[in-house]
Amino acid sequence: MTVNGNWQHASNPLLEMEGVSVNFPVKRAYPFSKRRWIQAVTDVSLKISEGETFGIVGESGCGKSTLGNAMIGMIRPTAGAVRFQGQDLYALKPKAFKEARRSMQMIFQDPFSSLNPRFSVYDIIKEPMHIRGGASEAEMKAKVLELLKLVGLDEEDLYRNPSDFSGGQRQRIGIARAIVLNPKFLICDEPVSGLDVSVHAQIMNLLMEIQESRNLTYVFISHNLAVVKNICQNVLVMYLGKVMEAGTSDALFANPQHPYTKALLSAVLDVDVERSHDRILLEGDTPSPIDPPQGCRFWQRCPFAMNGCRTIPAELVELEDGHQIACHLVSGFPPDQTAAGLDRPVSA
Amino acid sequence: MTNAVLEVRNLKVAFPAPGGVIRAVEGIDLTTKKGECVALVGESGCGKSVTALSVMKLLRTPPSVSRIDELRLDGRDLTHLPERDMERIRGKDMAMIFQDAMTALNPVMTVGKQIDEVYRRHTKLSRKQARKETVKALELVGVPEARSRADSFPHELSGGMRQRVLIALAFACMPKLIIADEPTTSLDVTIQAQVLDVLKSMQRDHDVSALLITHDLSVVANMADTVYVMYSGKIVERAAVLELFTDPWHPYTEGLLASVPRLSDDKQAFVQIPDTVPHPMHKPDGCYFHPRCSHGGPRCEQHMPRLQTLQNGRQIRCWHPLHQERVT
Repeated sequence: MTVNGNWQHASNPLLEMEGVSVNFPVKRAYPFSKRRWIQAVTDVSLKISEGETFGIVGESGCGKSTLGNAMIGMIRPTAGAVRFQGQDLYALKPKAFKEARRSMQMIFQDPFSSLNPRFSVYDIIKEPMHIRGGASEAEMKAKVLELLKLVGLDEEDLYRNPSDFSGGQRQRIGIARAIVLNPKFLICDEPVSGLDVSVHAQIMNLLMEIQESRNLTYVFISHNLAVVKNICQNVLVMYLGKVMEAGTSDALFANPQHPYTKALLSAVLDVDVERSHDRILLEGDTPSPIDPPQGCRFWQRCPFAMNGCRTIPAELVELEDGHQIACHLVSGFPPDQTAAGLDRPVSA
Repeated sequence: MTNAVLEVRNLKVAFPAPGGVIRAVEGIDLTTKKGECVALVGESGCGKSVTALSVMKLLRTPPSVSRIDELRLDGRDLTHLPERDMERIRGKDMAMIFQDAMTALNPVMTVGKQIDEVYRRHTKLSRKQARKETVKALELVGVPEARSRADSFPHELSGGMRQRVLIALAFACMPKLIIADEPTTSLDVTIQAQVLDVLKSMQRDHDVSALLITHDLSVVANMADTVYVMYSGKIVERAAVLELFTDPWHPYTEGLLASVPRLSDDKQAFVQIPDTVPHPMHKPDGCYFHPRCSHGGPRCEQHMPRLQTLQNGRQIRCWHPLHQERVT
């Protein structure tokens, strides 16, 4: 459904998604009642080129983590294709799939639940190599020590358990585990939101150093717009499973077009006490992704919603330089629909 | 007595732990004026929540050991008040908003009934009148269709609505002091903005003092009038919000402010404070912040600086504040 197909002008993307949708079945209330679906991700297309940091932004429940999981083969999409280095990830034979999965890794949000409490640091970091096989114990130990140093931990930490470490240190262990197999592609799913404020910057800087030295491609999933603005080259704004706006970070933050992006940006509380700004306050809550609203997914909370927004889904259109937006305010309605009064504001 | 609503003098809390004692709070003084929102900022483990619980006298002793020289609420001395009388004060004269609404609310009781309870306990209202007040309270915090929502259970409400119910619960009897412990941490940005707006207007409109406990500096910037910065159980700086954010004096405050990413800057790297918070059982000698501080000198390694009070109530605990000439 994307108008031009490729909104980033990457000729040879590392990862490409085409019309990806992910639906989850809802448990039936009664044995023969109609099956209902959570539409977690609907029709998302994107391209991620090598070496870039790609941001996915949205509120909880908007499908950003599901999209991340679909990227690395953890959740099979209901529709659409995911291509990693040109190969369709979900059409690969199991052996080749495993091979591809090794170059895609993930850093999780919660460093307390993502590390096995019964494993030592050495066991945790070595596990991926152990599963891959083909490395001797000495080789593995040397590699683990090298990585520990890289992420800023000591050699003497090798046989300690995760419970001996603070949140920031645990996240360092998680990072070491993610890069042990020299991946190309790393998904960081809210890597700092579970950590203390003064540690955020340390972990972010570490991630960026690693990216530079190993030429990694990052997908950075976050709800913190300020962080995304500072580190990402391209950004995707999601709402209720759909892409609302996408583009380069510069274009999107300097010139947000979608009412949702604008509201999201203005809702960010800044630490600049002197700068006063008019906030666009959104009313109400995010609707349920089971039976999402017909038409534009955002219309119920949109302060500028028009009659047509209720029934006609907004298509993604390209503005300039790959800046894409799905909003009737920008794309407008065709003349015959305008005549029917679809562009008038929704009457309360 | 001045116009102070809450006065805390020299609060100390310690927890016995295997292998030593955890000194969570080490001698804290707090004052809140009428209608003022005071923020207590710090990282996890700095003792801010323990301070809040101690002020409410909700901390179980034992296991904790706490000592307080003076605790006054609106001039009334609560220092040695027995639990029976505290029960009459909690919910009426001071109330608390907790972080996680799902655990703070009773899951098997409708939210309306939970608010009714506050009125039934502290006022002489009948059941019917109490419900009327409940609906009013819910409307005040912006719960739509308050009359029917009062009959829903907590799990039927969204996160933002639940937090509003907690706010309504706390403001039910229009207390003199509201303690909000991380009121919006578990919420999304757009919902956080809504809830903070509600909290702020409730506090301002009804001239209620608030003690806001948070780690989020952006919440502080938008809510507070005065800020206390805590580090490892001690207050390191106190200032009016504008002064603190534009001109921090303590190296820790400066570091915290610099490490927050802002929408308005184009930094490629993040300014970081090295190392982590000291373990509460093994705090370093001298100033607790000195191992992470870039301004330190030899004196910092041996002696804990005193909390100095300067002009216009600004307080600072540092041997080498960022603006030496103005402090001495």
